[in-house]
Amino acid sequence: MPPLPDPNAVFLNIPYDEEFQKLYVAYIVGLCQMGLVPHLASEIPGGDRRLDRIIQLIQSCRYSIHDLSRVELSVSPSATPRFNMPLELGMTITWQILNPGQHTWFVCESEPYRLLRSASDLNGTDPYIHGGNVQGVFRELSNAFPRDRRPSVPQMLTVYNLVDGALHSIFKNNGTRDPYSRSVFLDLCSLSVSLASFSPPAA
Amino acid sequence: MPRPVAHITAPWPTQEEMEKSLGISKARKKALLPLVKRLKAELARQEETPVASIEPEKRRKRASAA
Repeated sequence: MPPLPDPNAVFLNIPYDEEFQKLYVAYIVGLCQMGLVPHLASEIPGGDRRLDRIIQLIQSCRYSIHDLSRVELSVSPSATPRFNMPLELGMTITWQILNPGQHTWFVCESEPYRLLRSASDLNGTDPYIHGGNVQGVFRELSNAFPRDRRPSVPQMLTVYNLVDGALHSIFKNNGTRDPYSRSVFLDLCSLSVSLASFSPPAA
Repeated sequence: MPRPVAHITAPWPTQEEMEKSLGISKARKKALLPLVKRLKAELARQEETPVASIEPEKRRKRASAA
């Protein structure tokens, strides 16, 4: 039996691609500003099979966010569909059904009704629509995680602009340009936590 | 149709608790310290500049340029 999940931990099931980078940083900044702790599959050191690591991470998090906005065909000549995110969502749903009350999952999309076309089995699950922009991510995080004294969307945007502007320094410090690498992810989290004015909130 | 909403019962974590949950080492924090200090100063500077005091000035400049 796995241990009880961290009550503030959120597993992020997102695409690891260049076009998603701004929304990725927005998720990290937004969650940290709201006193929630983001987790990413890439943060766990290697060793076990990737799928085993992802299952362990889902089990250790009280919440998960599944951003399906980039579930589409790749631009390569073979045009392969991207199945990783729906696969991880399916694993999460199974875990939640088998362990009711221990996990809550959220689906995010960029457009209304796209989910019904890409995964019609999720009919009855209303996704959070962020519109593919940073402000939309903050708005939907605030809707999904209502919390006393949480920062406003403009406050989160201010911190986002600072963290996003520091990305090049973080890349340089870590000798990589991969924003999804473990070291960059941890630096982004550390920076976002340090700039979180509501952690803990003023009484 | 209502969307799922998190019913958060856990108290707000402290900065130390969040860093522990993430497994952020002291060495990582130390390496980031100059950047954190710079961004905190910039954040404080931005928060001290009320938007209301900027907007009329912007409007005046726009009006004079037009």
